[in-house]
Amino acid sequence: MKSGIKDVVKAEEGETYDIELDVNILEANERLAEENRKMLSSYGVEAIDVMGSIGSGKTSLIEKMIGFLKNRYRIAVFKGDLTTTIDAEMIARHGVESVPINTGRECHLDANLVSKALRRIDLSMTDLLFIENVGNLICPAEFPLGSDKRIVVISVTEGPYMVIKHPFIFMDADVVAINKIDLAEAMAVDVNKLKREVKSINPKSVPVPTNCRSGEGVREVVKTLGL
Amino acid sequence: MHEYSMTSQIVESVLKEARRHDAKIVLQVRLILGNLTFLNPEQVTFWYRLITKGTIMEKSRLSIQRKEGTVRCQRCEYEGNFSYEDDPLYHIPIPTLLCPRCGNIVEVVNGKECIVKCVKMVV
Repeated sequence: MKSGIKDVVKAEEGETYDIELDVNILEANERLAEENRKMLSSYGVEAIDVMGSIGSGKTSLIEKMIGFLKNRYRIAVFKGDLTTTIDAEMIARHGVESVPINTGRECHLDANLVSKALRRIDLSMTDLLFIENVGNLICPAEFPLGSDKRIVVISVTEGPYMVIKHPFIFMDADVVAINKIDLAEAMAVDVNKLKREVKSINPKSVPVPTNCRSGEGVREVVKTLGL
Repeated sequence: MHEYSMTSQIVESVLKEARRHDAKIVLQVRLILGNLTFLNPEQVTFWYRLITKGTIMEKSRLSIQRKEGTVRCQRCEYEGNFSYEDDPLYHIPIPTLLCPRCGNIVEVVNGKECIVKCVKMVV
């Protein structure tokens, strides 16, 4: 037989091709999240996701944590919302860097939006970054952003079934703040039951009852995050 | 939850591959959806039919294979299905991150996939 390269084998006109594509559709976001993670760690910035339901107290919790932490850390906050900069302005009043991210219609932040926001702050002047997601207990669970730890905030005013109705978001949570405990009795919600449900879905997570208006429980959230 | 945007990306990646092979028509697309994603197969199929209209994928068959969520335990080396909280109140069993064998904390191995596995096309 003669040596050398043979003709390329090609499908004939009209022939059927079976192609193993193996494209992971969620991978684009995961790749960007990994880049964000690398960039943050190269500057030694610790990033913490704050996710949770609408009106549960995500921004209030961040404000109270800033109070405890701003003497020890240079803090920046990314504030995801569909529209407005109301919360971002509220946070900026605490003397920390605050970047509003408006998603327009999207119900969650993604790694691309976070990567754009990262270019707005001086990472070499930042130690700690809170990334507050859009109020939502479903979508943010599917889109990692590149942070190190995750807080999920729920509150008793949302009723007694918030945890078991949205189990997936708790699977990646390090801390679960159960907020507005001062209203638990009026709402007839058993905070201990919520804690047990969080623990049964994700035994790694630490549920912490809080009242982000008075500051009760916030020190424990901070401690649990290792800050 | 993100069926529209996800399905758009699925269709886009298949069309890109089809163009690369100068395909005339796409016959079949096989998709793997993990049980822990927030993608409902029925809604994915609904958007697929609408988005592919007028393209060479219009008549293609979309087959969706569900992939069970699985976990791995570092302590007892269990690897397999989740354990579930099965309270009649919940209506669907709630997956938990407890090892069904030893009760230790487990990590998720499978179930978060949204993969275009293979495509059949006529060139």
